[in-house]
Amino acid sequence: MVESKQQWKAWLYLSPAILLLLVFTVWPIFNTLRMAFLDGYGNMAAMGGATFEFGIENFLKVIDYDKFLDCLKTTAILCVATVPVSTALALLIAVALNSIKPLQKTLQTIFFLPYVTNSIAIGMVFATMFNIVGYNPVERAADTWGIINLVIQFFGGEPISWINQGSSYTANIVVMIVYIVWNALPFKILILLGGLQSINKQYYDAAKVDGTRKARVLTRITIPLLSPMLAYVIITGFIGGFKEYSSIVGIFGEKMGPPDDAGRLNTMVGFVYDALEKDRQGLASAGALILFVIILLVTMFNNKVIKKHVHY
Amino acid sequence: MSTTTVMQERDVKKRTFMQKMFKIFGKTGTYTFLLIMALIILFPFYWMIISSLKTLPEYRQAIPTFWPNEVMWGNYSKAFTTANLGNLFLNTLYVGVVSTFASLIITVLSAFAFARLEFKGKEPLFGALLATMMIPGELFTITNYITVNQLGWMHSFTALIVPFLVSVFYIYLLRQNFMQIPNELYLAAKVDGTSDIKYLWRVMIPLALPTLISITILKMMGAWNSYIWPKLVANDEAHQMITNGLRNAFTDTTGQADYPVQMAAVAIVSAPLFLVFLCLRKYIMQGVSRSGIKG
Amino acid sequence: MKVVLENLTKIFPSRDKKSGKEVVAVNDFTFEIPDGQLVGLLGPSGCGKSTTLYMISGLQKPTSGKIYFGEDDVTELSTENRGIGLVFQNYALYPHMTVKQNILFPLQNLKGKDKLSKEEMLDRALNAARLVQIDELMDRKPSELSGGQQQRVAIARALVKMPRVLLLDEPLSNLDARLRLQTREEIRRIQKETGITTIFVTHDQEEAMSISDVIVVMKLGVVQQIGEPQSVYDDPKNLFVAKFLGTPPINVLEGKVVDGKVYIGDDDVLDVTGVDDQEVYIGIRPEGLEPNDNGRLTCGLSNIEVMGRDASVVATNAASANPVVRAIINSDIRIDTTSQTIKFNVKPHKFFLFNKQTEERVYFEVK
Repeated sequence: MVESKQQWKAWLYLSPAILLLLVFTVWPIFNTLRMAFLDGYGNMAAMGGATFEFGIENFLKVIDYDKFLDCLKTTAILCVATVPVSTALALLIAVALNSIKPLQKTLQTIFFLPYVTNSIAIGMVFATMFNIVGYNPVERAADTWGIINLVIQFFGGEPISWINQGSSYTANIVVMIVYIVWNALPFKILILLGGLQSINKQYYDAAKVDGTRKARVLTRITIPLLSPMLAYVIITGFIGGFKEYSSIVGIFGEKMGPPDDAGRLNTMVGFVYDALEKDRQGLASAGALILFVIILLVTMFNNKVIKKHVHY
Repeated sequence: MSTTTVMQERDVKKRTFMQKMFKIFGKTGTYTFLLIMALIILFPFYWMIISSLKTLPEYRQAIPTFWPNEVMWGNYSKAFTTANLGNLFLNTLYVGVVSTFASLIITVLSAFAFARLEFKGKEPLFGALLATMMIPGELFTITNYITVNQLGWMHSFTALIVPFLVSVFYIYLLRQNFMQIPNELYLAAKVDGTSDIKYLWRVMIPLALPTLISITILKMMGAWNSYIWPKLVANDEAHQMITNGLRNAFTDTTGQADYPVQMAAVAIVSAPLFLVFLCLRKYIMQGVSRSGIKG
Repeated sequence: MKVVLENLTKIFPSRDKKSGKEVVAVNDFTFEIPDGQLVGLLGPSGCGKSTTLYMISGLQKPTSGKIYFGEDDVTELSTENRGIGLVFQNYALYPHMTVKQNILFPLQNLKGKDKLSKEEMLDRALNAARLVQIDELMDRKPSELSGGQQQRVAIARALVKMPRVLLLDEPLSNLDARLRLQTREEIRRIQKETGITTIFVTHDQEEAMSISDVIVVMKLGVVQQIGEPQSVYDDPKNLFVAKFLGTPPINVLEGKVVDGKVYIGDDDVLDVTGVDDQEVYIGIRPEGLEPNDNGRLTCGLSNIEVMGRDASVVATNAASANPVVRAIINSDIRIDTTSQTIKFNVKPHKFFLFNKQTEERVYFEVK
């Protein structure tokens, strides 16, 4: 009696979740796969009665499309540059935070602040910091080079056009790296500091008794014992990096590039959404699947590398 | 082995002095490093606020001022009207509250079923749900865009709310929490004739409150920061969300834009999250570190 | 290396700011540990024994007082410069390193003129491992070892750098009963072989008594008594020490001294001289009670527990501070179990008097 009553009760409680998941999670998996393998699929056309051949044309088109390779390049550069930098910085900050007592809570709060910001809104702030504010038409020179350039000039460097008309791809990427690292730090610091605080203090006492120098404690004890957390932030960092999109919108706007070269900094996700908005769902699906496979491969590769070094 | 030690010959006084110096240098170094990093983290916020209070000519000065000569509170009212922020706030709040509330109900009921009830196919179903977490969201978006279109939900709050009501991850999180509550409590409640809903309300929800608060905050933050999906399905004035509205109102980040007003708008949009964070710091940091979501 | 503690005091600031109560963990501890001895710091939890050990190690700084290793004042010297070996209660073996790496670790930290070549390091690590008989396990990870084996690795790691002083924090508390017996013999053997001055902390009096050259009994931060285990047992300075040492514990009864007779209730159990009339606590070791039909102490007889060679007589007395009065006797002695009462004589050298107020020992001579 009780058993059967529990049966229908369980399904009743689960029904809203299951219904929604079927429509918005399960169906999309199949449908996206289907669309990806229907040559040139477009939803509007499909509703208009058009039929599509089964094939791999979408994938070929995606790979053939030169802008897709640019997207892949930008995405990969951003990943490879930001993940190690932000992880290393976060580790140093977490270790330093863990070693102090006064001000620890305050500093911890400050380091978490970028997390509770809107990445598009603060992207706009970063844009103004790198921005050359205005040209003086008479002297044909910039009025204000922006605060970052002023700092560079203060230290005797040459100002650079970071995101304006005529800026170089390298300069654009550097701006993105700075912003993404700034944005990625809080999450990594939080996870790593949590990990540090859960390490048994006796290992540090033991290291002290053994006369271990600070640098050696870090490399031989802290990092190995923290390796599961490090692995976690590195893997999630790569996954997040391959899905980078809105931070670029924050700085460059929806043009995804400096004014004279729109789309220069487009990423994989940006590519997928562009295709989607142009009613080329087949292409978008193929792009999304390729992204999925890349993420999967990178994660598997990471896992393999990490497994050798991680102590659980 | 003998007690002759490698460290016996030593000048104790010199060692004592050296180790004190090292300690002072170490501490100074640590604090210097942390404070410099903290300044770098804080600088954009500072720059946002002072820029938002400057006049455009002052903002454009070749030698920047680090505090506005003339404090322009007017930038804020101008930002508010230019970007129609009032309307955007209301839209976002509406979507945030409704979706959080509905999502909590669905999550609690599902987590309860998975944690406490026995039914056929429970384990495989739960496993299948967890498996969907591995797939990146972009894959769903493409079809959901079509689905929403075919359901006639384009340009409506429904399109903004319904597709994201179920989060497998939150169900998982809450189920783990519920499972820690001993089953005997549930059986005892059954013996006393307590209904499931009453038991949930009186026993499980209070015990799982921290998790529920974390879910609420993360969900609200999600609504506040969502950009891509609203842009696709509801980018009209009546339903526009705050991030989209902000980005649309100030399309230019370079060139001849009115930067102080832009910064004022950014400050207004950032303020609510900051305030919530300062009040509920503990829950947010706990929630984020437990869920490990990068949002 | 002798270790000298001079007026060593440790005060912890109160945890709760409002009450403002400081905790005196160790109070004015003065003691000289001769070279090459095995010393047990003994006391109930919270008595300051671990704090004392950690101050000797340098992991905690004393509030006042001095610590000398030999002639060197090491009070201000940090742990790594003291040349000590410390075995933690939970061993604190680095979980990501093999046994070999764990033992090598302290040697790899040496620098400057102390630096060793790879061969020397391996050689010494192997010697240390042989000493504690774990040379077969060098390539295992700590998680693949039993508790006793982990303990040995921890000792090897502490010994490998040839410390001036070896410190052990509750070395046996994480081992099961059988291993504990075996390991404590092992510690004794290793200490004798190396001759390193060794200090260990324990709350288990049997453990301390069985292997120490000297025991230090502590209570609430104050040293109660220092001496060889047997002499402390035979001649406790106060009621606490008498109660803390010995299993089964000493019998404590209330009584008084009147006109050279010690009374328990109405029974005068012993004639003494040199004691003023006063109220006293009387401590009688279980082996100090002899059943005798003409005995002077009468108790109610509860039952007799025979444990092979010995038997334990469980009796009651209205004046007893313990729930029962216990006597350990040779199991050959026949007791009439049908009787309601039993009479004992006391052995004077197993019989102690303590002042009722101060609980200090009151010395007497047998008449």
